[in-house]
Amino acid sequence: MLVELGHFALVLALAFTFLQVVLPTIGLIKGDFSLAQLSRPMLWAQFFWVLIAFAVLMYAFVVDDFSVKYVANNSNTDLPDMFKMSAVWGAHEGSLLLWALVLSSWSLAVSIFSKRLPRDVLTHILIILGVISIGFLLFLLLTSNPFERLDIIPLQGRELNPLLQDFGLIIHPPMLYMGYVGMAIPFAFVLSSLIRGQLDSTWLRWSRPWTLVAWSFLTFGITLGSWWAYYELGWGGWWFWDPVENASFMPWLVATALVHSLNVSEKRGAFKHWTVLLAIAGFSLSLLGTFLVRSGILTSVHSFAADPARGAFILAFLIVVIGGSLALYAWRASLMRSQNSFSWLSRESGLLVNNILLVAAMLSVFLGTMYPLLLDSLGLGKISVGAPYFDAVFVPIMIPAVLAMVIAPFLRWKKDTISRITTVLKPVWLGVGLLFLASFLIVDNTFVSLAVFLFIWIVLHSITLLVTRIRQNGSTSLAFIGMILAHIGIAIFLLGATVTTQLGIEKDIKMEVDQQITIKGYEFVFKGVESFSQQNYQGHKGKIEIYLEGDLIAKLNPEKRQYVTGMPMTEAAIDPSLYRDLYVALGESLGDGAWSLRIYYKPLIRWIWLGGLFISLGALFAAFDRRYRLRVKS
Amino acid sequence: MSMTIWFGVMLVLSIAWAVWFLKRPLADNGVDLEQSNIDIGKQRKLELQADLTQGLIDQEQFEQALEDISSTLALELKQADSKTLIKSNTNIWIVVVVVLLPIFTISVYQNLSNYTPTSKSIPIDLPPLTLDQSVVKIEQHLKENPQDVKAWKMLGLSYFDLNKIEESLKAYEKAYQIDSSDPRLLVEYASALISANDDQFTLKPIELIKKALEIEPNAPDALYLAGMFAASVQDFKLAKTLWNKALSVLPEQSVDRQALVSILAELSRVESGDISNTVTVNVVISDEILASRPADDYLMIYAKAAQGRPMPIAIQKLPIGAFNGQVVLSDMNSIMSDKLLSQHGKAIVVVRISATGGAMKQADDLQVSSEIITIAENPSVTLNLK
Repeated sequence: MLVELGHFALVLALAFTFLQVVLPTIGLIKGDFSLAQLSRPMLWAQFFWVLIAFAVLMYAFVVDDFSVKYVANNSNTDLPDMFKMSAVWGAHEGSLLLWALVLSSWSLAVSIFSKRLPRDVLTHILIILGVISIGFLLFLLLTSNPFERLDIIPLQGRELNPLLQDFGLIIHPPMLYMGYVGMAIPFAFVLSSLIRGQLDSTWLRWSRPWTLVAWSFLTFGITLGSWWAYYELGWGGWWFWDPVENASFMPWLVATALVHSLNVSEKRGAFKHWTVLLAIAGFSLSLLGTFLVRSGILTSVHSFAADPARGAFILAFLIVVIGGSLALYAWRASLMRSQNSFSWLSRESGLLVNNILLVAAMLSVFLGTMYPLLLDSLGLGKISVGAPYFDAVFVPIMIPAVLAMVIAPFLRWKKDTISRITTVLKPVWLGVGLLFLASFLIVDNTFVSLAVFLFIWIVLHSITLLVTRIRQNGSTSLAFIGMILAHIGIAIFLLGATVTTQLGIEKDIKMEVDQQITIKGYEFVFKGVESFSQQNYQGHKGKIEIYLEGDLIAKLNPEKRQYVTGMPMTEAAIDPSLYRDLYVALGESLGDGAWSLRIYYKPLIRWIWLGGLFISLGALFAAFDRRYRLRVKS
Repeated sequence: MSMTIWFGVMLVLSIAWAVWFLKRPLADNGVDLEQSNIDIGKQRKLELQADLTQGLIDQEQFEQALEDISSTLALELKQADSKTLIKSNTNIWIVVVVVLLPIFTISVYQNLSNYTPTSKSIPIDLPPLTLDQSVVKIEQHLKENPQDVKAWKMLGLSYFDLNKIEESLKAYEKAYQIDSSDPRLLVEYASALISANDDQFTLKPIELIKKALEIEPNAPDALYLAGMFAASVQDFKLAKTLWNKALSVLPEQSVDRQALVSILAELSRVESGDISNTVTVNVVISDEILASRPADDYLMIYAKAAQGRPMPIAIQKLPIGAFNGQVVLSDMNSIMSDKLLSQHGKAIVVVRISATGGAMKQADDLQVSSEIITIAENPSVTLNLK
């Protein structure tokens, strides 16, 4: 019965979302405050019922209610409770319900924390968010009902994909969804401004902190995904240019451009066209990414066609959202004419260059991701676009972006001169040059040298900027510290990614008991394998001891698991540190006690995720800057 | 409380919430858009002043930027179209909400829910019913609802699981007479008929499968059975086509894929003349054990490698009640599609009676193992469970 109540709660949520959209719209048209103000309470009711529906589905998982098709397909009695709960978003229907809940939560946050926003502006924003919610709730109820019952109740459910039975799955999707869905907020702000015909300072001022928080979540979600793939997939990689990864990376690139574009629009009233387009593109790409991942189109184009109702709904929704918002943009284009001019050398032009490069980078990823899918769906053959394409196209676009990134904050608004900027930055460039030359003493790899150069370039510029600002002002703002943190995060990420890719060592070897192998001074000794069993799998656990200069520094136990459904899984063992990871994955038994092992030496790999955390933290700092918390003083 | 009452409570709460806010609107926060833009413009000027003081801009740039801020603000004020909202009588809207909210919610729910009383009969907070108990419940339900096709279908399946094929066929026939357009029912009925006829295809199941495929050409279970029929008449080409089609429509994560992949691998081996090996396992279970274990306990018969990993390489799992004394393990029962039974050398056969059917041996499981056998010799093994 509880499941039916959950289903009914979802229908009630849809009803309240209609009320959230229809009544306030009538109120705004008729100038009726009593109806217009309803957007908030109707949204709160929507949030409540979506939360109830979500809780009911989670309860169905926890109590093994296999009469629910979604539960029977994604959980079984042997699954540990923690993974039963996270299995809620382990497949299509549940993850869409999570999407709806996250969107509802974001809307709730906007309705509660936008105290300085004029009420009619907030009403417009909540109406737009309501329209998006209607799309998702209808999609859930009509094509992806998570509460569908089975006619015949199985005694046991199926297995949640073992790859997803991991702590990473518990937190990675919700964080990523917070980022994806968070992009709906700047989108709603922009659309509300376009509808009202007022692309003003209020919109720009109050949409920026929300954009920053969404960007922070998106960064954190992608970082978590990369970390999870590294330790869970067993191949030691941290990024594979996989379409699923790209689906989250594209909105991130656009959101990065949007955060910077909003800065210019807010402070100088310029780039409004850019800002509007980026806000629309950011959310459109988030939608596209969610649907690409969740529709099954990426694993198989045919699975998309196999469910025409779902496919048709997705396409229709994308067309309505993207087409509708672009049409609105075209209609209101005249409002975005800016009279504020700037010279080719100014902070505005620096940020514009960065924006263009980020968008170009996004388009290169878009092309590499969508082109093979398009060819496949048109029956024109299968092609594979992998790392070589992205390395050749994406990386060269990003190098100038990274170089310009730290110069722009030194430039003056409106107009600057080469002589002034050269004078200011000459000592920095001298420092960069000297340190770069010194790095040649320890680095003999071209790509690593380039990464070291960029690292020094970013860090020295950022520190100089910070010191200069503190000297001039005595203190600095959270937004400024956030920018410095995010830029240094990019530097840390760049160095980590390049060093681990260029200098990492991978060995695929057969090892017999007590055999040893030395990699980069670390002595790996194979001490055999033992069997073990857990609640829903059994397997083998390898025993590897690692010695450095004769001292035992770590004992690793990589696992090879066989789940009850027969699916095998490799669970790597890692000895982590900030300087290097020692990573061992157990392969196959080769008889007579010998096993195949994959051993990796990964220098600076933790810097990749450390960089991500810096960027994410930087965005949060900027979002909580004083100017967004204090009432504007007259 | 019954479900209807709960639905009523939820609806009343919802209506009360909506009506409350229609009668007592939330207070306005008093923030005016024009004033907000003016205030932000003033703050920008203050920030600009700070930039000038810190030397980030010179006087000329300060004045230019100041002019920009003023012109932007002027434009914003010109664009501003602030309409004063007034409070009005909302009685008509209260009526609309009170009438439409329940109509909308109940009609949408009734159209979308596939909930039926039969699926209610097994409450989740009680221990699961045994098959015998389920049959009694379903029969009771059918006395009151003789036209419930889902219940007849469930009864057919339950009897089938209890190895009461005769009763199962009667139940399926009844369901078929009420609704012959459900492809799932047609396939289940066909399966039961084939089982009743010692796995031989007769005219009726063939017609049922054909009909199921006419209704749903991509039904994987119907495609699977049609493939079985094709294979039984030695039309391996057609069998392969049908099974490949079934494979293409099965979801990526479906566990049925594994079985289908194994069958296709086996078929390829048959076609290439590379016939697979089999292990015939005869199991003798004492009357004492049979009497002490429920008929739906599992009998698990599997081969595992003589050395190395203890996981099964090929397995058959069936209720004790359905066991006829012998099973033949072949490549079709292999766990891993890329490592079939025939590809192993030495193995041990294990027979286990288990209440859960889980992979790991439980305390009350009964188990017996064979000596080491050579799979290439197509051995026959007899194991006694006493």
